[in-house]
Amino acid sequence: MIYFTDGTKESFLTAFLLSYGDEDAYVTSAQKQLALGQETIFVSADAARAERAEQRLLAFDKGCMKDLSFLLRSGEENREQIALRYLRLVAEKKAPVREMLTEEPVLAASECIRRVTFELHRMKGFVRFLECASGALYAPLSPDHDIVDLLVPHFRARLPGFPFVLHDVSRKKAAIYDGKNIFTAPLASAEVALSANEAEWQSLWKRYYRSVNIPSRERLRQMRGYMPVRYWKFMPEFH
Amino acid sequence: MIDEARLKILTEGAKYDVSCSSSGSGRKNEGGIGNGFAAGCCHSFTPDGRCISLLKILMSNDCVYNCKYCPNRCDLDIPRASATPEEIAELTLDFYKRNYIEGLFLSSAVEKSPNYTMERLVRTVKLLRNRYGFYGYIHLKGIPRADGELVREGAKYADRMSYNIELPSERSLKLLAPQKSKESLLLPMRTLFEERTAFRAEKRKERFLPAGQTTQMIVGASPEPDGQIVRLTQSLYRTMGLKRVYYSSYVPIVHDSLLPDLPAGQLREHRLYQADWLLRFYGFTAEEIAPENENLPLDLDPKCAWALRNPQFFPVEVNRAPLEALLRVPGVGGRSAQKIIEARKYTALTFEHLKKMRVVLKRARHFLTAGGKFYGAKDEREIRALLTAGERNDSARQLSLFSGAAYAALTGEL
Repeated sequence: MIYFTDGTKESFLTAFLLSYGDEDAYVTSAQKQLALGQETIFVSADAARAERAEQRLLAFDKGCMKDLSFLLRSGEENREQIALRYLRLVAEKKAPVREMLTEEPVLAASECIRRVTFELHRMKGFVRFLECASGALYAPLSPDHDIVDLLVPHFRARLPGFPFVLHDVSRKKAAIYDGKNIFTAPLASAEVALSANEAEWQSLWKRYYRSVNIPSRERLRQMRGYMPVRYWKFMPEFH
Repeated sequence: MIDEARLKILTEGAKYDVSCSSSGSGRKNEGGIGNGFAAGCCHSFTPDGRCISLLKILMSNDCVYNCKYCPNRCDLDIPRASATPEEIAELTLDFYKRNYIEGLFLSSAVEKSPNYTMERLVRTVKLLRNRYGFYGYIHLKGIPRADGELVREGAKYADRMSYNIELPSERSLKLLAPQKSKESLLLPMRTLFEERTAFRAEKRKERFLPAGQTTQMIVGASPEPDGQIVRLTQSLYRTMGLKRVYYSSYVPIVHDSLLPDLPAGQLREHRLYQADWLLRFYGFTAEEIAPENENLPLDLDPKCAWALRNPQFFPVEVNRAPLEALLRVPGVGGRSAQKIIEARKYTALTFEHLKKMRVVLKRARHFLTAGGKFYGAKDEREIRALLTAGERNDSARQLSLFSGAAYAALTGEL
């Protein structure tokens, strides 16, 4: 049976309960073309069921909901299935399993979580803010995983006096700090009026970037390994 | 706003300094702009594979010293420039705000005199901290022969300071950097170390170099062998409490009869960093790594070389060996060792398990057993042949294209 979820944690946990005991369960939020003959069910979030599943799992492993939250943020298509198999093992062992690295579901989950948290770490460096005429900061980005809101506490801690917007342009959503509060909102596209000096600071940055390089020691493969090309789009030093 | 022409000169003069790390300081934001990020953060990477974490810049490249190896030495006819403390502070803040950088690495040529220069560096740092409320990372270079009071003042505001010992022996220093002396570099380093230790012991509220000190030396401009360099490194960690020692393989920027005409090999620098890693994270001593008068082998990494010299230590059983023993296995790093220790609590590990857990077995299989099973080559000669065969390909590639992926994280982001 294929269990279609709406991508939320509640819907996933509802599917987790519904699919219990179904050996061939496949849980996904991807809108895929169905092969004929496959049994499917659309699982809408059921708050009571989700809460029941959460409490049961938390009793076995206090940290498993945090793992789940990272897994569901993954941009990989089989994220729900990775999470399902991982949490089923928690339920089966009735204990935390994250150190059981010889178990395939644990390995898959820990590698998936690692990819999400690694991108989160990377983006703390690779985000580029544009200064708006109002003094607020605006950063467009297009991360592999759904992490913009997780970046907000980091930037708020260091730039408490600057309202800012982190805009995930592919997921069409924004994580916003308005100088006081943090929230997320859908955002398809943004018109940004830049500050008078923005272009000049960008060109100084590009000058710095060119000057600090040592051309006789070119190691492009290494550079791209550390900073994959897909991240260059919103970084002024590459334009 | 500083102009592009001076920014170019002051950046190009600073870029051969290797250190770019922004780790080790958790300075909190107290209402201004910026904070420390103890893990460190890379903001960009340049085509030479190095990370940009800090704005690495000189206050001035107009030097009264004449160190033979230096691109800013006074008898060279090159464009000279200086910046004001205001200009540096403004540049730092505007780059920081846009998330281009994690902070400032401020250095300088010796302009007019050591005290004049140090005073300007300290003034810039104080301007950033006091006037602009900047709490981001600041790495401040110490100027040799500057007054101790000035240096201490700087240390109260910086996260990290560094005096570059420049060359691996006093003799080479005398020859190539006649205006610097061993004392002018080591004495302030020691004073700062003692002061920092005292601050910590007394649990004082003010900060004093939360990210400690580092240093750097040029490798290949003078004749010291690796064994001597590794011993010097070890003693700097032990007696000066340094956080990092950086090596920069010599690049002939200026020609001088006292200097070699050829650049030192990148591979040699790489081997030294591997040895440095063994000292800091793997429990090795300098004496184990290389004899004093020898260089590290180029065709083998220093851990493999040690393993081949000490066959009595192997093979190590993954299901029983303590962490320290696992860390001595070639090819097994900190993360793999940690994974092994976690996973074996639940089940007896086999080679299949290790493979699935992505423990790299290419080198390790010659030095490990899993449940008593051994999958390595049968004798030392064969193992050596297999290990150097792989390495030779790697190093050939690295030498020709300078692109070895194994160069991981050595360029200073840690």
